Amino acid sequence: MMVRRALATLLLSTLAAAAEPPTPAPRPASSPPIAPASSATPRPTSGTPASPAPMAAPRPTSSPSTAPASIAPAAPVSTAPAGPPSVEKLVQLVAEDVRALKPEPPVALHLSGSSAELQRAVGTLLASRLAASELGPLVLDAPSPEAAENLARERGARSLVRLTISVQEGELSARGDLLGTWVNFWSGRTPSRPVAPAAALVRAVEADAGALALAALSPLTASSSSSMAMMSGPRQVRLMGAALVRLEQVPAALATGDLDGDGKDEVAVLTERAVSVFAADGRLLARRELESLPLSSAPPREPFGVIAVIPQPARLAAWSARYAHGEVLVLDPAKGALRPIGPLDTAPLGANERGTFTSGQTTYTPEVRLSEGRILTVPAPFTAASIVPPRLLFVHLDGSASLYARPTTPPVRIQGLGAGSALGDLDGDGTPELITTSPQLFPAPDVVRVYPLAGDDPTTHGMLWQSVLPPGRALQVVTADLDHDNHREVLVGLWHSDGTGEVFLMRQGAP
Amino acid sequence: MTLRHALASLLLLCSTPGLAAGRIPYGGELRLAHTGSAEPLGDPTLADSPVEAALFSFLSRPVCRLEASGAPRLAVAREMSRPVNQSVRLTMPSLSLANTLTRAWMRITGPEAPTPYRALLFPVQGEARQLSANGSTVELPLAFPWPDLERSLCHPALALPLTTVAPSLGPFSATAAKGLFESRLGYLEGRPYLDRILLTSTDERGLARMWTAKQVQLELGVLPEAGVLTGPALYATYLSFSQRRVPSDFRQAFESAIDREDLTRLFVRAPAVPMPYLLPPALLGPAPKPRSAAPPATGARAVTLLYDATNEDQRAVAERIQVKLHDRGYKVALEPLPRSLLRTRWAKGDYDLMLQSLLLPPVPGPALAVVLDAAGRKDLLGVELPFIGAVADPAARDARARERAMALGPTVQILPLYAQGLGVRAVPELGGLVLDAQGLPVLDGVYFMPTEPAPAGMSR
Repeated sequence: MMVRRALATLLLSTLAAAAEPPTPAPRPASSPPIAPASSATPRPTSGTPASPAPMAAPRPTSSPSTAPASIAPAAPVSTAPAGPPSVEKLVQLVAEDVRALKPEPPVALHLSGSSAELQRAVGTLLASRLAASELGPLVLDAPSPEAAENLARERGARSLVRLTISVQEGELSARGDLLGTWVNFWSGRTPSRPVAPAAALVRAVEADAGALALAALSPLTASSSSSMAMMSGPRQVRLMGAALVRLEQVPAALATGDLDGDGKDEVAVLTERAVSVFAADGRLLARRELESLPLSSAPPREPFGVIAVIPQPARLAAWSARYAHGEVLVLDPAKGALRPIGPLDTAPLGANERGTFTSGQTTYTPEVRLSEGRILTVPAPFTAASIVPPRLLFVHLDGSASLYARPTTPPVRIQGLGAGSALGDLDGDGTPELITTSPQLFPAPDVVRVYPLAGDDPTTHGMLWQSVLPPGRALQVVTADLDHDNHREVLVGLWHSDGTGEVFLMRQGAP
Repeated sequence: MTLRHALASLLLLCSTPGLAAGRIPYGGELRLAHTGSAEPLGDPTLADSPVEAALFSFLSRPVCRLEASGAPRLAVAREMSRPVNQSVRLTMPSLSLANTLTRAWMRITGPEAPTPYRALLFPVQGEARQLSANGSTVELPLAFPWPDLERSLCHPALALPLTTVAPSLGPFSATAAKGLFESRLGYLEGRPYLDRILLTSTDERGLARMWTAKQVQLELGVLPEAGVLTGPALYATYLSFSQRRVPSDFRQAFESAIDREDLTRLFVRAPAVPMPYLLPPALLGPAPKPRSAAPPATGARAVTLLYDATNEDQRAVAERIQVKLHDRGYKVALEPLPRSLLRTRWAKGDYDLMLQSLLLPPVPGPALAVVLDAAGRKDLLGVELPFIGAVADPAARDARARERAMALGPTVQILPLYAQGLGVRAVPELGGLVLDAQGLPVLDGVYFMPTEPAPAGMSR
């Protein structure tokens, strides 16, 4: 409570300072330089340091989008409302639809959906757009779309837009209707509707990481909001996804880890000929071409390789099987570069575990060197490995897998896993879950499935979650804590048929 | 490994069904039957029928190959670039391969092994007779703008030749066992998914018999029918004639006597299309050609028609020409020759009539270059190619090459006859089979499809 009060005080003082006109007086030479407002303003959060921060960085050129939801005609807004690009695009499309229907102002807005943050953000941006068109928008807080109709009449609105906002299968969508709230005098107490306006509204755009961050289920919201409470507690996994990064080549391997020491994981992508590091919002932080490395004498036909974040100090170990050896790299955030610090001649499967490529194939040999130097012999060559000590998962090329509770115990046999398989604690209960893709060669569509780990074959316990992925072959899965909320997000490497790739981000939410 | 580990491993290995984990599986032996020669040819300029070019591509490749979309994809070369507009740079994996390449290309552009495919290298300064490798790099400076050089270099005839020192440079390597090729680990595009290919040479009846008996999983050279994959008809057959040795009205006599539809319908193996103009319909588009009226009859004229002794279609067509020209007062003697000797006679201009079959590149400009050289008009290359290469836009450049082909057709001493493609038939269990832009199968990407039961947990 003390922390909240302190934060509220700081926020009020910051806003007050921002509202003051700039002082033309020169600063003393000894005072520190004043940072731009956009960078000095803290990222909007839901009120506690533990809650996830929105993925979209504030835009320096745009003003905070808090258009007043009043019925008075608004002055034309000179700057466009700011938000994640996908939300802005959706709002723009919906606003154009509403304007085209020429509703009588004031226009009431009611938004529903499973994410309060997302619906508030859409409401704010949509109200701003409609205000710019002099439609006098007001945002209603009604328990249901049906209740919103009466509330709109009570508040004097002449039109009502009711929208449900959701993120599903990589799309951010708004679905609903526009209706008139004017009641004919001769109807008496019966709330009859006018002939116009009356229209269905359906719009969808491709979701991005910013929209996903708004729609994400924050721990605070989950425990305090009644609508989210049913999702809280252990063994609750609800994933929704959006494209994080588009790649010119298909990904050969993915890794996550805190490379710049900010407490949040970065996403490292290995393609056949390059290594790239991306921030949690999909921004490219650094890239290194591997073309200068000597070619492997036995390369595989498909892009294949390994990339891992090695801790203390954080380094990136990357090896594309196209080349004779890999590289150990250090991220230099200031220069936006990946600096090589040495060659790599073993494939890092985890922080301390090492494997060996099978010559010419997209697998590793069955011998894995563990951290203590011991050799673990896996039953067969494997194409993917995920290690969350003490557990080890190896996926074989025939779709079977060997899951070790610890290296010294016999493996549990699992069937029907895809190459995109990983262990990761998605629900924050301290025990990792098994996340896997389809075992089919070219599934259409591919799906991601989540199973609990309980000591035996996880697939015998039923799925915690399953959802469809965008078109493409999902061959890599890793987990990451991109926002330091102790809930791990899922990142899926997708291969598109045109030779391009994608990193698809899935995070806890309520679609 | 403990006993429990060993038992668990054994159980796992014995019970795994044919799943894929989303990855393309490795392994298996592909039984392949074809209508080509039983022994693989070592010279890519002579292995130029579709079946033989396909067989040769198992053991060696050009620096690149054209994907079905027409885009070049590196095969043997590590890099192909244009550091400046007027020069193409090839980076080979090793110094020895760079030297092998330059020697091979200088051989075909010089007098040692003449071939019409040398026209593909004509735009290189000095007609590519003075190439040298700088380390593993080969520079190809252009004598005039020629944007199609990269695509020309992907032609199968410019593949690295097989030698005793380097018996295999492609995705597979020959073994001591006859017809058995094993996948090659060091192939630059990556080891093929298959472990090995077992080749059987036969004729069309043999193909049909083996297919019915399910003795093979892939066949090359089959007749087009339902389920057969057919490549573009780029294997073009021409009749070259010597203006000095045949009467001036020979073209008219030939055109009035020969019906190309008849040739493709009755005398040559399908898939085949009539070719009335210098370039095949796959490059030029379909266009009927009116038949010429017969020239006035004169006295008997004796000519000799040379043809490829290894090409059964050419034999049938030669006999047909012999019969039809007889009606026009020609006494045609037939002389079958080995392909290499035929090319030597062509280079010397030592022939009255000669049947020539050429695997044309799937790009109109370079294809026209090969045809003009085959027609004995190498002098035209220096005039026509700069005119075509000056057009920067690829579509407009192709259109100009087609225009020039139409315009030059009546003036050169070569008569187009027909063009053939390659028919490929595969069992449904075979995945990843594609034909490249040349119409040849790319077997290094072929794999046996796994059986795919439901994913884990789905059936519960």
